Amino acid sequence: MASNRSLGGYRVGLNNLIEFKGTKKGIIIQMDENVAFAAVVDALNEKKDTSKNFFKGAKVIGTEGRSLLPKEESILAEIFSKEFGMLVTSMRPYVPPKREEVKPKPVENKMFDGLEEGITKFVRGTLRSGRSIEFEGNVVVLGDINPGAQVIAEGNIAVFGSLRGVAHAGAGGNESAWVVAQRLQPTQLRIGSLITRSPDDGDGPTGPEIAYVKDRNIMIEPYL
Amino acid sequence: MGEVIVITSGKGGVGKTTTTANIGAGLAKLGKKVVVIDADIGLRNLDVVLGLENRIVYDIVDVVNETCRMKQALIKDKRFDGLFLLPAAQTKDKDSVTPEQMVSLTDSLKETHDFVLVDCPAGIERGFKNAIAGADRAIVVTTPEISAVRDADRIIGLLEAAELNDPTLIVNRIRIDMVKRGDMMNIEDMTDILAIDLMGVVPDDEHVVISTNRGEPAVNNGETMSGQAFMNISKRIAGEEIPFLDLDVQDRFMDRLKKLFNFSK
Repeated sequence: MASNRSLGGYRVGLNNLIEFKGTKKGIIIQMDENVAFAAVVDALNEKKDTSKNFFKGAKVIGTEGRSLLPKEESILAEIFSKEFGMLVTSMRPYVPPKREEVKPKPVENKMFDGLEEGITKFVRGTLRSGRSIEFEGNVVVLGDINPGAQVIAEGNIAVFGSLRGVAHAGAGGNESAWVVAQRLQPTQLRIGSLITRSPDDGDGPTGPEIAYVKDRNIMIEPYL
Repeated sequence: MGEVIVITSGKGGVGKTTTTANIGAGLAKLGKKVVVIDADIGLRNLDVVLGLENRIVYDIVDVVNETCRMKQALIKDKRFDGLFLLPAAQTKDKDSVTPEQMVSLTDSLKETHDFVLVDCPAGIERGFKNAIAGADRAIVVTTPEISAVRDADRIIGLLEAAELNDPTLIVNRIRIDMVKRGDMMNIEDMTDILAIDLMGVVPDDEHVVISTNRGEPAVNNGETMSGQAFMNISKRIAGEEIPFLDLDVQDRFMDRLKKLFNFSK
């Protein structure tokens, strides 16, 4: 008997020689390969009177267990369509669709370490609300970063103006990255995986400041 | 050849429609030929603010679909010689018009009017894109509130991306008493973030509510601060250089009395 690999459908066995296996896509005809073809046809004909209306309209999508000669395929196809009222789309051996293998991503993600000398993007002008700059290196902004704008850099971030939006330095995980601004007033500041925000009280910065990580805390100090 | 100016803000409720109606009326009072277009299809308001809603037969969607001629849709305002309104549709929505259709509409109106003012809907989607499509320049309206300024900043960014460079700013509904107490943003805070030129400042004024409900633009009443402010803005758009109003003048009597006796902070 053909292997009993389940395809997640129901099984209606007519007898041991021939079975109709139901799947979402249609019916697969399972046949015993150890008997003569004539015996398979007899078994099918035996059951057609009791079961033929059951399968009316169903689709035959393939066969299993027994390889058929072309002549045998057409004989069976004719019985299925004429006697059982089924739609025969294929009598060939059923090949289940291959499940796409999910290839693991090659582990290439090296953390950016060009904090002293590294690739740098220069942005001129003010970043207005809604704009986002993402870069796999350091970013220098010659202007303000307004609330609602963000810069996400794998390296350092330097702002020649007011940082009022969101800055994320060391975005790839490098917690040695720093953020510098003439006025450091971000809505949120992130370095590596650490997040902080400006204190609720206080009048705001009085001069240029630098933010960096020490002992897993973000420290902010006057810079010049 | 006239000029197409879009009045936009991002945030809703800051005074775009009021500003459009008043600048339109103000420019008409200065003798200019003006058409104001309501681009807020589905939520039309410009007609109500101008008191012209009872006279609408055709609207912008009819013009764009060529159901009527432009002349049939334009409503002449009987109080202001030279002012016309092209109303929006109320039973359609913003997908009824495309940016390309707006461009050809404003291009043809430019030829017969000195100023075409487009009242932009709130938001940044299709309504906004339609409204800015044919514009030569933009005026951004905001109120002195963080949320409005945040949205105005976004809008300015989008205008610049659409190559409508150098928009100018109108700050609406400012309350000088609150600014002095430090409870409201002042003009410098706003221009610091928005970084565009200031076109005008309009104080918060009860008269605007009253006149809107009457369907009469505030600019008609030169006695009120808001009326004067809108008239000044109209004059600046027409090319005159007008100094900004001293909004301190609107101190209430009690404040003045207090100042006299040194009771105020």
